[in-house]
Amino acid sequence: MSALPNAPLVPLGWHTLGPFFPRSFFSPGDNDLTRLSPDAEATAQGQSCIIHGRVLQEGGGPCVNAVLEAWQADAQGFFRHPADPSHARADAGFVGWGRAWTDAEGTYDFRTIIPGGYTDASGPRAPHINLGILGSGIMRRLVTTLYFPAFAAANAVDPVLSVLPEALRPRLVLKPDGEHDGTPAFRFDILLRGEPHEETPFFLD
Amino acid sequence: MDLLPPDLFSPYDEHTQPQVPIEHYANTVTRNPRRAPFRRPVTRTELTGPLDLTGKLRPGDINLSVVDGKPAQGQLIWVSGRILDEDGRGVPGAIVEMWQANAAGRYFNPLDQRDAPLDPNFIGNGRCQADAEGRYGFFSIKPGAYPVPNSNRWWRPPHIHFSILGPSSLSRLVTQMYFPGEPLNAHDLLILSIADREAQQRLISQPVPTQEVDGEWLAFQHDMVVRGRHATPPL
Ligand SMILES: [Fe+3]
Repeated sequence: MSALPNAPLVPLGWHTLGPFFPRSFFSPGDNDLTRLSPDAEATAQGQSCIIHGRVLQEGGGPCVNAVLEAWQADAQGFFRHPADPSHARADAGFVGWGRAWTDAEGTYDFRTIIPGGYTDASGPRAPHINLGILGSGIMRRLVTTLYFPAFAAANAVDPVLSVLPEALRPRLVLKPDGEHDGTPAFRFDILLRGEPHEETPFFLD
Repeated sequence: MDLLPPDLFSPYDEHTQPQVPIEHYANTVTRNPRRAPFRRPVTRTELTGPLDLTGKLRPGDINLSVVDGKPAQGQLIWVSGRILDEDGRGVPGAIVEMWQANAAGRYFNPLDQRDAPLDPNFIGNGRCQADAEGRYGFFSIKPGAYPVPNSNRWWRPPHIHFSILGPSSLSRLVTQMYFPGEPLNAHDLLILSIADREAQQRLISQPVPTQEVDGEWLAFQHDMVVRGRHATPPL
């Protein structure tokens, strides 16, 4: 979008309408799930990985200042929460939560560990990361789930991934993207609104 | 396995939720999916969440009305209440983040380029942790109204943005709090995007009788329900 030469200098909608989180709410390292706090040593057990990508809006332009929040099990598939019957065995060096935000290009990244799977009433869950997306104009938080390509057999029977029509399921599987300083990297681009075959599938919260 | 049955998290009544797109709010057009969201079975990932986020999101000063000992411009206010779950129980330890414009209706943010005065003694961002009963509170100043650019004179009424992180992935709320009796409330396109009158009212704080408040603060009481049939609408 290019401004007209005579257009007055006015803030765009996302400058004035919430939620646009104050920058001071972010510390470098909030997007690093391998640490208990941004300035702590990495203590999470398991294989670390990097997940990065872009958040795009209708037309393919960047979704600037989007907030992404990740929540996942530890490397053994346990959550440190009483709703997990195995919570006493969860990794004490892992919180499982992180927050990232997009820059002017819509780019975000997380550092985390590859989670374990688990089984409960609705069946065996493949290793996955739940992702919530917030931003100006997104009144109702968008939620989706990320899967790893290495667990194809588990993904095929995951009760959440199976909710999607078959053609859409690959959209939620991370794309291998080489290594970053020896850590395997994956790419996950999110299109908030687009043609049906391109738009990211989201779940009812 | 005694996990809660998924039916406890039945979908919201659409009349209680903001409907998009909203006129004059371009981001609601370009950032919301065309396709309806898929209903998924609820498993441990959704039922759990970080119990203690204070390592990641450190609570700070709850008094926003003073910077370096110098008072901000504006009417001093005390905003407090409880964070509640779907059964009306307090959510202990919830992280509560808030941000707001100054008394002139301008945000302390380089991107807010509106020609209204900045107050060097007001930043307008705060974060706290709810106590064991889910109680939170902030001292601040009453934010001013501001016009939305290119909107045919839609003015945002005075409001405070809130972001709440509870102990499960489902108890996540981003919303806005309004002040009672503001004429602009009746014309706010965000409030009007919610059809249900009762749900609209859940966004508006209650005045506390001045006789009940010590000190020179106007006090407002505002409970926020993070999920369930009586949830505070997200905005
Ligand atoms: Fe605002």
